[in-house]
Amino acid sequence: MSTQIRLRDCAKTFGDGTRALAPFDLTIEGGETIVLLGPSGCGKTTILRMIAGLEFPDKGGVITFDGDDVTHQSIEKRRVGMVFQSYALFPNMTVAQNVAYGLKVHGVSREESDARVKDMLEMMHIEMLADRRIDQLSGGQRQRVALARAIAVQPRVLLLDEPLTALDAKLRVRLRTEINALLRKLGITAVYVTHDQEEAMALGDRIVVMQKGEIAQIGTPREIYRKPQNPFVADFVGAANRLDGQMRDGRLHIGTHVFDAVDAFDPRHGAIIDQGPVELFFRADGLSTCDAARAHVTGRVEAVSYLGERLRLTVSGIGAQAVIVDTHADDVIAPGADVHCQINPDRLTVFPVGAGAGNSAANQSAHAVS
Amino acid sequence: MRRDWKFYSQLGLTVLLCLFIVIPVGMSALAGVTVNVFKGLSSGLTLRWIIEVWDLYASSIMLSLWIALVCLAVTLVAGVPLAYVLVRRPGRLTRLFEELLTLPVAIPGLALALALLITYGGVSGYRSSWLFILTGHVLFTLPFMVRSVAAVMSAMDMKMLEEGAASLGAGFWRRFFTVIVPNAKPGILAGALMVVTLSIGEFNLTWMLHTPLTKTLPVGLADAYASMRLEIGSAYTLIFFILIMPLLIAMQALADRGKRASKRIDTAEDTL
Ligand SMILES: Nc1ncnc2c1ncn2[C@@H]1O[C@H](COP(=O)(O)OP(=O)(O)OP(=O)(O)O)[C@@H](O)[C@H]1O
Ligand SMILES: [Mg+2]
Repeated sequence: MSTQIRLRDCAKTFGDGTRALAPFDLTIEGGETIVLLGPSGCGKTTILRMIAGLEFPDKGGVITFDGDDVTHQSIEKRRVGMVFQSYALFPNMTVAQNVAYGLKVHGVSREESDARVKDMLEMMHIEMLADRRIDQLSGGQRQRVALARAIAVQPRVLLLDEPLTALDAKLRVRLRTEINALLRKLGITAVYVTHDQEEAMALGDRIVVMQKGEIAQIGTPREIYRKPQNPFVADFVGAANRLDGQMRDGRLHIGTHVFDAVDAFDPRHGAIIDQGPVELFFRADGLSTCDAARAHVTGRVEAVSYLGERLRLTVSGIGAQAVIVDTHADDVIAPGADVHCQINPDRLTVFPVGAGAGNSAANQSAHAVS
Repeated sequence: MRRDWKFYSQLGLTVLLCLFIVIPVGMSALAGVTVNVFKGLSSGLTLRWIIEVWDLYASSIMLSLWIALVCLAVTLVAGVPLAYVLVRRPGRLTRLFEELLTLPVAIPGLALALALLITYGGVSGYRSSWLFILTGHVLFTLPFMVRSVAAVMSAMDMKMLEEGAASLGAGFWRRFFTVIVPNAKPGILAGALMVVTLSIGEFNLTWMLHTPLTKTLPVGLADAYASMRLEIGSAYTLIFFILIMPLLIAMQALADRGKRASKRIDTAEDTL
């Protein structure tokens, strides 16, 4: 019942020559929530707009909804619900009229439309705002109206472009939870664009991490978080700590310490390697403080910040750049102190040195040939 | 707050300046209802001159109103879509067109009229009909309509609104009439008032284009000043004021409302 979306060989070059997207394939299963995640300018909105029918892929690209070719169909015909960052509500209409607009366009009868509008407003908890004008609403209320308006026409897919970015942090989390529940309840295929990693994790069945017009990785939140396939993804999802190491015969050497059972994945060849210099990426939990006797590495505390449930240390002298280590909130540590750490090998993501931009370079040359 | 001498001196100056402008207007209006201007008010008040003006120039006044209304219709039908295209598809071509459109404002009305006469003066049926004057008025007022509408349109993110409407299934014309036009209404109203006011008051161009049978209100006014007694000219002015003042006041009110609307800050609390 929910619509499957397929993009095949879709690239996008704008009129001014900007190559926004390299050719890519993406299949979004019916009922799935896909999150497009990536830094500003990486092409997230462009993909969303291509699915919507507001942009068209370069020649050769094909977009299908449940197998129907919609590549050349305009947005009016595609039956997509859109929610924009800046809401795009009609200021000349009341809340109820905004929600009813699509129903009217689709020729739904007056009684049915009234009933549907009422349902939608109730579902979004804004029934008391029905007769308000748009400029009398807060940002959060506007976004609820935008959602109600988009789903009122029962679209085949729901497309959301950073719908929460304009709201304050607390409201963002609250609405995110509600949107999540709503998407599950409707069982609608949804594509959600954000540059907020936490939002992506919370909402996505799968996350598409994008980098400069290319897909850097597609995976479940768990896969993206625990098994980033390249340094860009690792860094983008928060594994910003970096150490150097050596692979020798499949074992990881860090300084004089040797660790077993660590996979060094080379995104350039899509293979595990067992020899050569490597870079280790990890979050604060890749290192844990311990006493001097059991320490793998020792550094100096540069800064301490109290996060409530834990103490966050910025430590120099372990890697080339300072690393972040968490410790018990009750520990009393001052800047300048020595800190001893154990390495937790299962929390490390290991890439051969130089794999950094390798992924995208490899993709580009592959596409240039084809 | 205590008001010092600065406030009062400024107030005094303002009042003085206003009087300087208002007194002649009042004098002129008064002259229109005075029995004999040269004898002054002591000669008594009368509506005779106004009635006389109406008898003599009713057709000019009616023609002016008619031309203003048709001019409004034409500038609406042409100007609103034009403004839309200019705002929605900015490019070198539209830029050029915008420049071209402002030419009639920059060029003296006389020159514009001359150009029209040279080009169409030979087309006798056209030359002698009110349509000839209408052409001049449309050329002259269209830029004002387009500017006024375009200003509101460029402030309202039409692209986003249209994309929102399109995603709900609305085709172009539906979007245009249900979303674009209603939201551009302040600009359209302001433009409409401006067009009517300008058309009714236009003299330079009209004077060149008119024929004895196609005289408009201001042309008639000049005629009255030149060939009638002063009281008649003044009574004519009075009628002109009565016609044009409501338009000017409406225009001002509209501008005020627009300012207030844009100043209204989002006071709705974010409880949701
Ligand atoms: N209409 C356009 N014409 C030319 N270039 C464009 C156009 N729209 C987008 N681009 C370019 O395409 C690239 C991708 O843009 P896009 O809007 O998809 O990024 P994004 O990932 O959504 O970024 P953000 O997080 O800032 O919204 C950018 O380099 C942008 O400058
Ligand atoms: Mg974007």
